[in-house]
Amino acid sequence: MTVSRVNAQAHVSAADAVPDRVKRHLLVDRAYHWLMAACILTLLATAFLPIIGYKFEWLGLHWTTGVALSALVLIHIVRAVIWQDFWAMMIDRVDLRDGWRHLAQALGRNGAAPGKPGKYKALQKLYHAGIAVLVLSIVATGLLMLLKIDTPLWRRNPYVLADYQWGWIYVVHGFAAMALITMVMIHIYFALRPDEWRFTRSMLRGWITRREFEEHHDQARWAADER
Amino acid sequence: MQLFRYSTSIYGGSDVLIGASWDLLKWFVIAGAVVIVLHAAVKAVTSRRAGRAQ
Repeated sequence: MTVSRVNAQAHVSAADAVPDRVKRHLLVDRAYHWLMAACILTLLATAFLPIIGYKFEWLGLHWTTGVALSALVLIHIVRAVIWQDFWAMMIDRVDLRDGWRHLAQALGRNGAAPGKPGKYKALQKLYHAGIAVLVLSIVATGLLMLLKIDTPLWRRNPYVLADYQWGWIYVVHGFAAMALITMVMIHIYFALRPDEWRFTRSMLRGWITRREFEEHHDQARWAADER
Repeated sequence: MQLFRYSTSIYGGSDVLIGASWDLLKWFVIAGAVVIVLHAAVKAVTSRRAGRAQ
């Protein structure tokens, strides 16, 4: 066997050993994302279409979808705490430092260049925190509001709270729901941007390319699964 | 522009708070549109500037 043939085989073996795709989201997490998206869009439609003039029997679909969303959120929290890397989605000191450097760079100041993010960018983490606050507010108030309607499982009992307490529960539910419209608009915009397309693809197919991984992520901050 | 919705109490007295005002709905939509337009504009300008620098 010639030396060049040995080198070529070694090169092929090395290429085989480094997969060209990096796993970003497991199937269960992608399924959660799209089921949650379906729930949120259904809830927004059943909440706001009647308000803007499209009248239909919205309550049944609204509360059943709300219960489904509550179950999904509970599963997600358990999964995030036990099986996923919970801290990968939390804003840390490095994110704050890089955020400051990005700002300084945008303002034309000299200084150290910002580093690459781990699995999630700081703004993605911030967005997730915002969505978490809104959805948890909506779920908590929505579950309480179930006490005001008859369902096959329970009879209504609105007397557990005073009128002014119900008023504030509806205020929180309403404001969080309207803010969710803003957040969904921004989310869809970023999902459709060509420069963010790798994130959308990874939420559909589960992976980003190795080149995208090396170009956009700090490998020390994201110990990615490879395939 | 009202922030809250009230109903008149059947027993008289002060109005009862019943929720957020739906008049605000359009402002939340406008806020989303403003963020999108501003981001798209900033991205367009910065990528043009980066392209010129290369």
